[in-house]
Amino acid sequence: MASDPHSQGHSHDHDAHAAISHDEAPGYYEIMETAVRELLMAKGFITANDIRHQIEVLDSRTPALGAAVVARAWTDPAFKSRLLADGRAGCEELGITFYDDTQLIVLENSESVHNLIVCTLCSCYPRPVLGLPPDWYKLKPYRARAVIEPRKVLAEFGTIIPDDVEVRVSDSTAVIRYLVLPRRPAGTEDWTEQDLAGLVTRDAMIGVIPVTLNDRGMK
Amino acid sequence: MSTQDFVSRLPNDIGGFAAGPIDRAEHELEPWEKRCHALADVLDFKKMINTEEKRKGVEALGESLIGKLPYYERWIVAFANISFTKGYFTPTELAEKMAEVESRTAAEPKPL
Repeated sequence: MASDPHSQGHSHDHDAHAAISHDEAPGYYEIMETAVRELLMAKGFITANDIRHQIEVLDSRTPALGAAVVARAWTDPAFKSRLLADGRAGCEELGITFYDDTQLIVLENSESVHNLIVCTLCSCYPRPVLGLPPDWYKLKPYRARAVIEPRKVLAEFGTIIPDDVEVRVSDSTAVIRYLVLPRRPAGTEDWTEQDLAGLVTRDAMIGVIPVTLNDRGMK
Repeated sequence: MSTQDFVSRLPNDIGGFAAGPIDRAEHELEPWEKRCHALADVLDFKKMINTEEKRKGVEALGESLIGKLPYYERWIVAFANISFTKGYFTPTELAEKMAEVESRTAAEPKPL
């Protein structure tokens, strides 16, 4: 699967994890999480409603939001200009709120440049528009290697970038996050914005794969 | 790796190091992991522990513990340590609360 550029690489092992722990006693770190949260509530620093509300916010953020931004940029050149000038303001135009203090820089792929995003220090990611990052984004191999051998990393995702195309890697920080604006696939000139959004995947907006007319992406 | 690398680079600063192939397996967050993430966000919104402090708190765990603990386990231990430093609660209070939570959750079946 790893060599299939259309694959999101996450369809094969949900079952192995889905069965974990509903009927087991909580582990040490889960107990610690409950204890920290309850202590902070008891002392009046936070409320149960703060946590419930933020879980709802987290659940409301998925790559579909980023895909809508990309599709708008593909179909509305004036919007694209505003988005590239100020990524956060562009997303907010589409009603996507930023629940944190982060700024967003949108990086446009072209015939001559391919962008890739990473957070070498930890796991900074454009959460307001993509939701939570995949596990591999948070683990050492991707974080360590993306900045030193991006073409080899991309090849592991099945993405071969021609030698005459520049690969730019952007390293996220606590306050500056990035989103890749992928290239619009050829043959989609008469597609609606909504159909286009259906083609745009999380991994394409991280920059590890292109947007393609995959077998699920037909109108 | 020379000792100079340990002087100039903290444990999280791994950009450019050699590493193995990327494992693309993904897992859905456990409920407690999602609560831990929400807690991190709430602590940031309330200016109690910001993103930089969280990362430094993880780095303060040291390289060997960072290497052994999964992601949200590192976060919650870092939050506890930072909370002690900032006086949000004491180590004794946390130990007592953890004992209470453990006995409570062992006695009740965990809700689905």
